[in-house]
Amino acid sequence: MLDISDLVCRYGKVEAVKGISLSVKEGQFVVLIGANGAGKSTTLRSISGVLPPASGRMMFEGEDITRCSARDILARGIAHCPEGRRVFPAMTVDENLDMGAYLRADRGEIESDRERIFTMFPRLAERRAQVAGTLSGGEQQMLAISRAIMAKPKLIMFDEPSLGLAPNIVEQVFEIIEDIRKSGTTVLMVEQNAYSALQMCDYAYLIEAGNIVLSGTGDDLIDNEHIRKAYLGG
Amino acid sequence: MVEFGQHIINMLILGSTYALLGIGLTLIFGIMRIVNFAHGELYAFGAYFVYLAAMMLGINFFIALLLAIVAGCLMGALIEVTLLRPMRNADIDTTMLVMIGAMIIMQNTEQFIWGGVGKSVNTPFPQAPLQVGPFFLSWLSLFVFFAALGLIGATYLLINRTKLGKAMRATFQDRDTASLMGVNVQAIYMATFAIGSALAAAAGALLGAVYVITPQMGNLAALKSFAIVILGGLGSIGGATIGGFILALAEEMGAGYVSSGYRDAMGFLIIIAVLLFRPTGLFARKERIG
Repeated sequence: MLDISDLVCRYGKVEAVKGISLSVKEGQFVVLIGANGAGKSTTLRSISGVLPPASGRMMFEGEDITRCSARDILARGIAHCPEGRRVFPAMTVDENLDMGAYLRADRGEIESDRERIFTMFPRLAERRAQVAGTLSGGEQQMLAISRAIMAKPKLIMFDEPSLGLAPNIVEQVFEIIEDIRKSGTTVLMVEQNAYSALQMCDYAYLIEAGNIVLSGTGDDLIDNEHIRKAYLGG
Repeated sequence: MVEFGQHIINMLILGSTYALLGIGLTLIFGIMRIVNFAHGELYAFGAYFVYLAAMMLGINFFIALLLAIVAGCLMGALIEVTLLRPMRNADIDTTMLVMIGAMIIMQNTEQFIWGGVGKSVNTPFPQAPLQVGPFFLSWLSLFVFFAALGLIGATYLLINRTKLGKAMRATFQDRDTASLMGVNVQAIYMATFAIGSALAAAAGALLGAVYVITPQMGNLAALKSFAIVILGGLGSIGGATIGGFILALAEEMGAGYVSSGYRDAMGFLIIIAVLLFRPTGLFARKERIG
């Protein structure tokens, strides 16, 4: 579904991603793990078109999307739920969801998707007229996920969905992501919480200093000596 | 008491046009982070456009006003595409210098085309004032007030109720995330600059009929727009609206009860006070427009 080869990304002169290749198959749950600053988020930002790559090639459903705009990439079916939630703080919950469906024109279906989200997250339904900046961190994460779902993507990318959340909320967020995957949406997730991520996924890549150093099924990586030592605390 | 009431009436009329100017500038700064020194020249552009259409081409005054607003909008779009788009990644000071350059060019072009002698516009309104109880109102001022209020209301609805407005607010709050939602940020910038310019042109078109039109009229308008925006807090439409009325109030009261010679100084005294005691503006809520 998504094939990336030799992707290089730069911020000014700093090379954050140094030629990585990875692929995500339709229906798969793929995870990128790695330390802070390894280049995970940069990779996602590049796929979603916010940060144009310096070189490399990205194919989505057989078409070259390397030079596509963020708008075009979303229209093709890749949604990005960014790191740190990034809800629009002065807009209401409803307006945030509207922004998620910004490129869609099927009004009737947008409304039924909205209702479905509100049954999934009754907390958001209660707060639909409230501005997002006043929500708790967990609620904001639910909203950010919902906003990405509103785009009706084929592939949804999550960047550190557990960041800054209480452990019980983290569990809830992971359950939601598994549900999304079960509903048939392909998932690519970046996560520092390596153990949970590896348990959930079909396939995983380990990024270190801008390079992919290891890949395999979640179980393979959990058993790997290097990963155990460096990422799973022994 | 009657005198006081008359000042209040004058304040409302002046304030409504100041609010238009302020809203235009605050939108542009809030969304694009551009300090638009050419804002006053779009105000002058609107005034001259009405003069051209109504006085030289003989077009109906009301249609001339509408055309001036449309022309201001197009002029804004043109400035955005030619001057600002290539500067997209430049820092705020660089674009500020570019806008100062644009201001100088526009003002000198006005001087070149129209000469330094003031122009005035005849309107279809009767010269005799309307008397309401002890107060006197000119028909033209009354029209200016309601037209400005209508435009403020329309802008408010545009920002808060339309898809374009929603995209503008999203871009203001978080540009990168807005583009992740599929917002074409370039198009939003152009729309923002065009709308802000149209509002300045509208204020100029309306006040041009009240006062005399000169090539320098944009200078004071630009300064006052900045004053209004500082009063109201950057990026706040409600703040700019109220800021416009407060500036007008200060000018009217200052001119009426202190000294008419210091009319234009009053606003700046308020700014100094605001910057000293409440530097984020009187109504600034953090990061919000609308």
